[in-house]
Amino acid sequence: MTAPASAPASEPLHAEHFEDLERQAHAARLGMWVFLASEVLFFAGLFALYGTYRVEHPEGFGEGVLHNTLALGTTNTGVLLLSSYTIALAVHLLRGGNARAAQGLTALTIAMGLGFLGVKATEYVEHFREGIFPGGSGAFFVEHTTPGIAMFFTLYFCMTGLHALHVIAGMMVLAFLLYKMRRGDVTPLRSHPLAIGAVYWHLVDAIWIFLWPLFYLVPGGAR
Amino acid sequence: VSEPRERALTAPQGVAGGGPKAEPSPVSGRGLFLTWLALMVLAALSFGLRFAHLGALGMPAALVIAGAKAVLVALVFMELAFERPSIRIAFAAGLVMIAIMMALMIGDVVTRAVPPLQNPPGTQPRTAG
Repeated sequence: MTAPASAPASEPLHAEHFEDLERQAHAARLGMWVFLASEVLFFAGLFALYGTYRVEHPEGFGEGVLHNTLALGTTNTGVLLLSSYTIALAVHLLRGGNARAAQGLTALTIAMGLGFLGVKATEYVEHFREGIFPGGSGAFFVEHTTPGIAMFFTLYFCMTGLHALHVIAGMMVLAFLLYKMRRGDVTPLRSHPLAIGAVYWHLVDAIWIFLWPLFYLVPGGAR
Repeated sequence: VSEPRERALTAPQGVAGGGPKAEPSPVSGRGLFLTWLALMVLAALSFGLRFAHLGALGMPAALVIAGAKAVLVALVFMELAFERPSIRIAFAAGLVMIAIMMALMIGDVVTRAVPPLQNPPGTQPRTAG
């Protein structure tokens, strides 16, 4: 037991109710991973819906995939994979003592999140212009009546929209951590908050890894 | 003044002595770069297979590649390979739940698609016309 009297003059790096920083960081990581497990379950429900409907309506889903812009979806895949690398590198450099580089890479990661959202917004605007709205409403579905195509685009809006909300949340987390780094609360000696924020960002990337083939890449046996 | 301690778990940090140490990174900068490179190669492979006309195999192939990418991200970038069992078990529990849900769902969809049971040979119903 560490008696309070033996506490150093400087503020300890860990919170009062933890024995040391290592235990505090572990508790924080465990909490994040339990949250991520619930997030994955949350998305898994939507993936299950997609799978079920695609098996029932392969033609409609294939047509939907072909209608989406492969170049934009692929660009966003590249952006998110690169942003995962930059935030992983930020954590690595912060631990190594290079706080300035870590801050720069965190800012770069946020900027890439913004770029991702920009591409996504461009796609949504294009869909709305074509008359593609969630729930199978809009002029597009008057001409395109393949069974399942309305389901495809409803799931497209639900899943990519939910994912975009996670991108926004991730950017807010990273922006907060950037602020904490600038303030000196997250430092090379106390780096676990950035590591945990990065783990959340990687999850957002991992989910997109699966959304890309479902909505852009694989039209199935259609063509 | 004591000598610097090696193990963070046994040394109370922030107290006089060795002083706090930065948490070491389990993966080197080179390792992170190679992981990203592997991810890009897998993405390129997936993109290439799009034009290989795999037919019904297209989606399974894309999902296997996506799974490999997600595993790389989880194990290296998210450092799950270096985490303690408590964290790995907590996350694995979620994956087990998903496996159960997916198995039940696939079971449902697959059996739903099967045509009605066929009559045993020799007992074919006589159809008019």
